[in-house]
Amino acid sequence: MKLSINRLALALVLIVALAMLPLAGCATTTDDGGEDAATDEVKDPIVIGAVISVTGVYAGLGEPEKNAIEMEVARINEAGGINGHELQVIIEDDATDEAQSVTATSKLIEQDGVMAIIGATGTGQTMAMRGDIDRAAIPQLSMAGGTVVTGDFDPLVFQTPWSNTLVVPFLMQHLQDQGITKIGVIADSGGFGKDGVANIEGAVGDYGITIVANETFNPGDTDMTAQLTKIKGTDAEAVVMWSAGGGAAIVASNVEQLQMDIPLYGSHGNARMEFIDGAGAGAEGFMFPAGKILLPEAYGEGTEGYEVATDFIDRYTAEFGAAPSTFAGHAYDALYLIVDAARTLDEGFTSAELRDAIEATDAFVGIGGTFTFSADDHNGLTGDDLVLYKVENGEWVLVE
Amino acid sequence: MGSAELLQFIVAGLKNGSIYALVALGFTIVFASTGVINFAQGEFFMLGGMLSVLALQSLGLPLPAAILFGVLATTAVGVVFELLAIRPKKDGDPLSLIIITVGGSILLQSLARHMMGPDELPVPAFTQGRSIIFAGAAIERQTLWIWGITFAAVLALTILYRKTAFGRGMRACAIDRDGARLVGVDARMMVTASFGLAAMLGALAGAATAPLTQTVFNGGASIGVKGFAAAILGGLGNPIAAVLGGLLLGLIESLSVAFLSSTYKDAIALVVLLLVLFLRPQGLFGRKTKEKV
Repeated sequence: MKLSINRLALALVLIVALAMLPLAGCATTTDDGGEDAATDEVKDPIVIGAVISVTGVYAGLGEPEKNAIEMEVARINEAGGINGHELQVIIEDDATDEAQSVTATSKLIEQDGVMAIIGATGTGQTMAMRGDIDRAAIPQLSMAGGTVVTGDFDPLVFQTPWSNTLVVPFLMQHLQDQGITKIGVIADSGGFGKDGVANIEGAVGDYGITIVANETFNPGDTDMTAQLTKIKGTDAEAVVMWSAGGGAAIVASNVEQLQMDIPLYGSHGNARMEFIDGAGAGAEGFMFPAGKILLPEAYGEGTEGYEVATDFIDRYTAEFGAAPSTFAGHAYDALYLIVDAARTLDEGFTSAELRDAIEATDAFVGIGGTFTFSADDHNGLTGDDLVLYKVENGEWVLVE
Repeated sequence: MGSAELLQFIVAGLKNGSIYALVALGFTIVFASTGVINFAQGEFFMLGGMLSVLALQSLGLPLPAAILFGVLATTAVGVVFELLAIRPKKDGDPLSLIIITVGGSILLQSLARHMMGPDELPVPAFTQGRSIIFAGAAIERQTLWIWGITFAAVLALTILYRKTAFGRGMRACAIDRDGARLVGVDARMMVTASFGLAAMLGALAGAATAPLTQTVFNGGASIGVKGFAAAILGGLGNPIAAVLGGLLLGLIESLSVAFLSSTYKDAIALVVLLLVLFLRPQGLFGRKTKEKV
């Protein structure tokens, strides 16, 4: 060990610079199915896979997704499964890591022989899986919101959340109605933030809005006052934030701290109670578009959407002690889109037939909205499935 | 740009810089006593926040007691980690010790994930109230706490190092372990103490930052990288240099946002760091070490 301290330090800096990736937690694997099911009288189970970020940066999203799937699979099987076949969902954790999502996908395809895959939680992981999905030619239902998931079209890939292509114009319309013409944009440098900014830049022209400041921050940053000070120094009439992680709450509390007197708008990525808890007083008056699950009355009482959502919310709350987040809803939708499609098919159907049946989905009423897929629309939602929320006294209320 | 705005950027830089400084101090203390970079340092930061939340929510302690609990419990984790993982490998080569700390970091992160769940957890501000306006710049009350805690920690550390036999023993070990052992300093004890101290400083930073950022099981990794960069920038092994390195790193980041681009602020900080290492390998404020060949 005669390596000098300074050289060692330099070498370590280089290593760290190259490996700036956060250390991911240990992967845990939950197998929901066993090989012990089939006996002679019982029909073969229908096996599908799920790739979820149960650990890692998106663990806060992945956990409710896993909960929702496990709860609904048990319910489906109690009610007789799919046309008498038991439903098995094998859940793999990708630890919010693209390489691990690929490994999980090959394992599900090669070892478990799944008919379809739900996942992944994140956009990057979803895209990383595409090679294996295409090779195996099985349908994939992503729970990630990135535009690219269905924008970079693949006949096998479907998407359950509202994509930014839907949400951004919805928000811009509201800004235009409010007479806002100049906005400052702040977004995280992750996939969701970048995608949002690209959509905002593309949309503002149509609504007579100009972007007067465009700032970013990195996931894991602890303070965004510098970026917001820059926005404060412009003549922006509103701040639009696009970020899904914990950084969003820091932005909101920094806006409050800097005593900026212009409204802060966010995205469907902020529909989490953790945001309100974290932003504290900064959350008051914050507005964001999202689906109707946060306040089921938004579906309209007595409608089918209202019944489906309240039933799901009640059962989820009873089982897990907290109301489901929007992400739980995305998982619910992904699972039932597959299950409902499978129910329409004859015995011994193939993955290709399952894909066609999913694409033929017409007016499926789920949690995220009413899905109608077509040969060139694999997101299936419309702006009608969105509403604008505002935070008041630490609670979500509808903006009319 | 007005002077109020410039001041606001400086406030933001010094606020982040103080946090980096506390984490950098932890790196530097462990490095001084062992010659090893402790990659679990960021996890001590995370545990400071998480264990305070545990005390608040599960034990129902009032806030000051919960923070104290978080800091002391993390200190204990640091000591136990050294006793169980580092000490058995006594006089092992630095590379294997570094890898042990990487393993420790993954272990602590996973434990926190399983105990406290995957979501961000809130900690109330130490004192409630709106920001204080000073010469047109808004300064959050919690920022004053962070500055105060950093200052107090540096002062206490200086007194410990300069005025107490214990501190002199730690310094002696940093200069020459075998020499220190010959004059009766318990070198192994000093290594254990350095891990405890590093954990305590990391936890202080974590607990003081949690009201601003919330705390989450994977929040330690990125702050660990920043603290490490700050320690290298200042000069490894020298506490004052670590603090200056931290403050400087915070200022560079904040002023990059002000004058260049927020997209590249981390890249700019890293380029400055690499430049410093090429031109002054001992760090900006480090003393040149003699190389023995």
